[in-house]
Amino acid sequence: MIRTAFLRTARQAIRSAPRYHAPIARPVARSSLFQSKQVAPATYFQAVRSYSAHAGLSKDEVEGRIMDLLKNFDKVQDASKLNAQSHFHNDLGLDSLDTVEVVMAIEEEFSIEIPDKEADAIHSVNQAVEYILAQPDAH
Amino acid sequence: MTSTNPALRHQVIRIYKDLLYLGREYPQGYDFFRTRLHRAFASQKNLTDEKKIRKGIERAEFVKKEIEALYYLKRYRTLRQRYDKS
Repeated sequence: MIRTAFLRTARQAIRSAPRYHAPIARPVARSSLFQSKQVAPATYFQAVRSYSAHAGLSKDEVEGRIMDLLKNFDKVQDASKLNAQSHFHNDLGLDSLDTVEVVMAIEEEFSIEIPDKEADAIHSVNQAVEYILAQPDAH
Repeated sequence: MTSTNPALRHQVIRIYKDLLYLGREYPQGYDFFRTRLHRAFASQKNLTDEKKIRKGIERAEFVKKEIEALYYLKRYRTLRQRYDKS
């Protein structure tokens, strides 16, 4: 929010850029930055850096982090069966309580909170990856 | 477990999670707590009677309160020791 305001005042000062209305509800940071870059590349403010902008998680990264987490989980009996498609119960030999623990660990790893209902639907590495990718505030 | 009431299932999972969170600071270590908790829950896995499951959940709630009380007591004792031993 502050960044948009800042950008807007900066743009007014420069006066070279045509005014456009920054949408507030959309992922503000990136779109406004990106567009202002296009509008006035020469006068673009160096001071504006999106430190808190969401970098986005790649699928590989999410997968790798979940695998690491499972590797360190001592109840995984057969680590050789661990891959992106593994099912918690069928392949890894975890019972439903262990699954709860895994989901808790995933919650912590990505600093999000997964509601009970959705947590109950996560039964495999694949599903967990899908779910994390669908969460905008996971990191 | 799938055949029984899903609401009860969620309750069980919730109390299990709560207890796990509480267990982080357990004096004998989290792993000690986790394995025992897991065993305690797993030993009741063949309950199918709703009444009995509810009883079990109540027991889990009771244990949760006990653990909370244990932490309070531990903190109280630590503080007391620090202030009294002068």
